[in-house]
Amino acid sequence: MENKPKILLVDDRIENLIALETVLADMDVELVKATSGNEALKHTLHHDFALALIDIQMPEMDGYELASILREEEKTTNLPFIFISGVYTDNLNVFKGYEKGAFSFITKPFQPEILINKVKLFVDHYRNEYMLKSLNESLQEKNLELGLVNKELESFTYSVSHDLRAPLRSIDGYARVLYEDYYEKIDEDGKKSLERIKNNAQMMGRLIDDLLDFSKVGRKELNKDLVNMNDIVNTVIGELQEQMKNRDIEFKISDLHTQMADINLLKQVWINLISNAIKYTRKREKAIIEIGSSNGLQPIYHIKDNGAGFDMLYVNKLFGVFQRLHKEKDFEGTGVGLAIVQRIISKHGGTIWAEAEVNQGATFYFSLSKHKHTTS
Amino acid sequence: MNPKKIVDILLVEDNIDDADLTIRALKKNNLTSSLLHLEDGVEALDFVFSPDGLNLPKLILLDVKMPRMSGIEVLRVLKSDERTQSIPVVMLTSSKEEPDIKECYKLGVNSYIVKPVAIEAFTKSVAELGVYWILYNQHSK
Repeated sequence: MENKPKILLVDDRIENLIALETVLADMDVELVKATSGNEALKHTLHHDFALALIDIQMPEMDGYELASILREEEKTTNLPFIFISGVYTDNLNVFKGYEKGAFSFITKPFQPEILINKVKLFVDHYRNEYMLKSLNESLQEKNLELGLVNKELESFTYSVSHDLRAPLRSIDGYARVLYEDYYEKIDEDGKKSLERIKNNAQMMGRLIDDLLDFSKVGRKELNKDLVNMNDIVNTVIGELQEQMKNRDIEFKISDLHTQMADINLLKQVWINLISNAIKYTRKREKAIIEIGSSNGLQPIYHIKDNGAGFDMLYVNKLFGVFQRLHKEKDFEGTGVGLAIVQRIISKHGGTIWAEAEVNQGATFYFSLSKHKHTTS
Repeated sequence: MNPKKIVDILLVEDNIDDADLTIRALKKNNLTSSLLHLEDGVEALDFVFSPDGLNLPKLILLDVKMPRMSGIEVLRVLKSDERTQSIPVVMLTSSKEEPDIKECYKLGVNSYIVKPVAIEAFTKSVAELGVYWILYNQHSK
């Protein structure tokens, strides 16, 4: 804190002000003195006070009157007071002081320790408030900065999706022009090379799309609702029929726990997990995909397949962006799907993990809240 | 550029490769006999609202992102002028990410095509739209 907390002392008698000053001399505060209510009000225009010590019995404007004016002024409406009085010591007057919004009341003659303790309490309170306020302000500043960064990111995303795609389109387009319009003049080897150019341009297009999807998930706000997982899973399986053409796949789906979650994002989770299970069981004559959830305070969902699996040695790479555990010629993909899944789960405050063995299938588990799992 | 020439399709596209590939696609469907290619929004409006008289193409293919004047601005002008608002306009955009697509629909765009990296799909949609709008306009004459 750059400035010492200021305390306003109001008493019509100089000797009382000096006495207060002496008592509070050892405290790390700045004291501002006033010998009348009017003078006190003037000081409040120029200073921010942590506390006011107000004598009740003063000519012209007494302590109560001063207090009620201070309460009405916006700048001082929350200023705490300690009323000091040598005369009105009966309960009724004490009560009157509280009614005016005073925080405390002390009678003369007072013990210096009691006054010091009371003042300390208010000053500490003020310091805390001040800290909180400045923390809040810096938080707001950070928020503003974050908003700007987000905006920048958005325009970055925009130009990535726009400008990176344009040259790819030309590469792909002209490879196609060569292939179609100069078909006769190009030998087989040349055609194969053109095919590769096209495939790679398209692959990069998919990478750009997936990367954009991934960054979009990170910026989305959660919109939570009670989600019926069985409904989502069934919808997703319905939508993935295209991927299951000419395949023998048996789904074993148990009753799944409902959950508070963002339905659209959760759907994306199931789309990615289920289409992975479909993809990696491709080499099985009969694929079996089990989907279930376990009982407990926080349900754990799982999806188990009898597909290609993977080596647990590389499990830590599983959820990384553009990380793949299979060769492109065995199983195509960009390596973004599981990264998106993990991002969605962790946005919900949850965890995802997997168990697998090469050629023995894989099982993915996730819960939507922090959950310690046993595999590393 | 001869503004008196009858123009069926006006293609406004600043990227020459994209323009060339689009024209090739249209050519395969015999839609380029009266096509004019301009390279930005200012040129497009100068052509349509020519001092020698209005030029009203049967179809305008409009790229969203162009230097000087974007496709959206051109669209706004075309759709807010009684004389030009019934010309079908198809926006050509690089990506579905485009936050401007909503804006285009608000302004009354007739369709939009995401220019995919895979040119096949693009070729197909341009051809379909081109054929559709040209035929439609001839019928309604």
